[in-house]
Amino acid sequence: MRTVDERVREVRRLLEAARRVYEQRHELVPSLARTTGLSPQGVLLGFESLERDATDAQLRALVESAGDAAHVHVILSANVFVGALRALALARAAAPRVTIRPSSRDPILTEALVAAAGDPAVRVTSERDPRASDADRLDVYGGAAAIARVRAAARPGVSVRAHGPGLGVAFVTRAADPVHAARLLAGDVVAFDQRGCLSPRVVLVEGDAAHAESFAGALHTSLEEWAARVPRGTLGQEERAEARRWQESLAFAGRAWSGSQHAVGLGDRLLVPPTGRHVQVLQVAAALRASELLAPIAGAIVTVGCDDPEQVRQVAPLHARMAMLGQMQRPALDGPVDRRPI
Amino acid sequence: MTDPVRLAESDALHARALAFVRAFEQGEAAPEPFDALAVDLARFQARHVAGYARLCAARGVDPQRIRGAGEAPAVPTDAFKVATVFAFPSDQARLTFRTSGTTVGARGAHPMRITSTYDAAALAFGRAMLAPDLEAPMPVLVVGPSSQHAPDSSLAHMCTTFAKAWGEGAWFLRDGELDVEGLRRRVAELDARRPAVILATSLALAHLLELAASLPLPAGSRVMQTGGFKGRAREVDAAELRRSVARLFAVDERHVVSEYGMTELSSQFWEGTMARAGTPPGVYREPPWARVVPVHPETLAPVPAGEIGIARIEDLANVDSAFAVLAADLVRRVSGGFELLGRAPGAAPRGCSIAVDEMLGGR
Repeated sequence: MRTVDERVREVRRLLEAARRVYEQRHELVPSLARTTGLSPQGVLLGFESLERDATDAQLRALVESAGDAAHVHVILSANVFVGALRALALARAAAPRVTIRPSSRDPILTEALVAAAGDPAVRVTSERDPRASDADRLDVYGGAAAIARVRAAARPGVSVRAHGPGLGVAFVTRAADPVHAARLLAGDVVAFDQRGCLSPRVVLVEGDAAHAESFAGALHTSLEEWAARVPRGTLGQEERAEARRWQESLAFAGRAWSGSQHAVGLGDRLLVPPTGRHVQVLQVAAALRASELLAPIAGAIVTVGCDDPEQVRQVAPLHARMAMLGQMQRPALDGPVDRRPI
Repeated sequence: MTDPVRLAESDALHARALAFVRAFEQGEAAPEPFDALAVDLARFQARHVAGYARLCAARGVDPQRIRGAGEAPAVPTDAFKVATVFAFPSDQARLTFRTSGTTVGARGAHPMRITSTYDAAALAFGRAMLAPDLEAPMPVLVVGPSSQHAPDSSLAHMCTTFAKAWGEGAWFLRDGELDVEGLRRRVAELDARRPAVILATSLALAHLLELAASLPLPAGSRVMQTGGFKGRAREVDAAELRRSVARLFAVDERHVVSEYGMTELSSQFWEGTMARAGTPPGVYREPPWARVVPVHPETLAPVPAGEIGIARIEDLANVDSAFAVLAADLVRRVSGGFELLGRAPGAAPRGCSIAVDEMLGGR
């Protein structure tokens, strides 16, 4: 049985690999832009969310959360491209042997990390059938259908840790400067073109209607500025269609600001926007009302961003990570990003 | 607060919509051009439905300058979930139809101040498409809830309206439970010389097929099926379901007629298999007071003839809500009507973000 210190050291090797990959990131940009659909600038921005360091305390927490297994087989069917690092770290913390099957659509960073780590205990595989692995644990990252397929296919006695999709939300307090808060949040929205489970898609603004409208307008302006620096990648036809439909609904229900590569909608009832830099802003009189509005989607919330680390506790579901605005895409490497019950 | 001028204006528009229905029943030409009433409805709704005024403004459309139905923005069905879509004081609502619930809470609401236009439109076109040759009273067997048990269901309201107007109604679904034995007894009691009408959802029929092998109806009987299987475990191919239903009730396949309607509308669309000989199944017809226009999902402009688009539905009977509704269904114009090609697929997630459909439990 490996000690905690040994496990921490093995995760640190992965972090060293991440640093080497990060230093060579410009070489990976063209291929990652093709596989992820992000713009080259979007890929570079995404690399800023690649974990490259962590404190001992954080890594010990990660080891504690990782569980214990002889062989973990990781199945990445859907994730943001930097998500491979944390998936590998959790598996390596849990087991002396790790195999990982990256998404066939997006294998590049996984392969680069494993190659850079040079850890003989970690191997990339293209095997699609989880029954072909002799692993005693399957870590699966993907949608509900992919998770269900893996669960159904798992051999008896094999445990399955599922990390499903989710979304981020933000809470802006009445004390916040709406322009400053909007600038910070815009960075969280732009990262990965909002395709991550940490990406904020709904923002609750505490205070009066004017405060919410100021925030929404400032977010629109900030997202327009971001579009010039980090253009949005390609959206599929279905994504564009969903976006148009959502904007029409918000134009009816309240107000919609349509930018060249984004949209911000203001309304008083929740209508979760599609990904691709679309944000719904809702005005709430108090934090309690924010919790009520979020209740129907609480199970899907992975993280809650806020300008006030105390007030965020009133809004965030118990399982959710909490982050300051502007830091929602950079959670500490202290366990799974997704803390919902596995 | 009551606004007599607004209500009088609404009453006059209802009368004009009703005139379309009456003309259809009499086999006469429409009393006025479709676009004339459509334009007046758009202007009325922009004046009295705040959301519609906002939508027009956001699209740069001045309702006073609209010259044809197609120039008026369509209200997405999602708007019925997040905003009020009615042109009268809320205390004037006689009935509110609601969409079925989802895990994300909000149900779409379609309040109605006047139901007589809805009822007249449903009865006139429903009769013409399902039972034009049958004489009332006729036995009407509803394999669905009654409006008494599901007062906010537009489908229950429509079926109850049919049952009351056409003859002897009986219901065989209560609290979600199918009363197969009751249906079997009622079918056995039917007079073999009087054709009957079955009104059912596709889901209920699929369930019924698992529980009953044969429920032969009198010769000439009809079956209306409606609705899909979204989010349900049971899903059956449409052609296979039609064949099985025809076999179950011992009716001609042509006599199994699909209806397409939605909570947000006041009119329905029906397959033309009964009404016009030679019409293939799967081709839906519109009444003269409603149109289905396939539009491009991004530009919302009509697609070229024969291409698939999402359904923009113009319904002159939707006087007090939204005369143009943007549905989420894919349609294609074909000879004699339009084909219904299922719900527009949601975008597949490319990262670990959750798709809206997945949050809704639909994927």
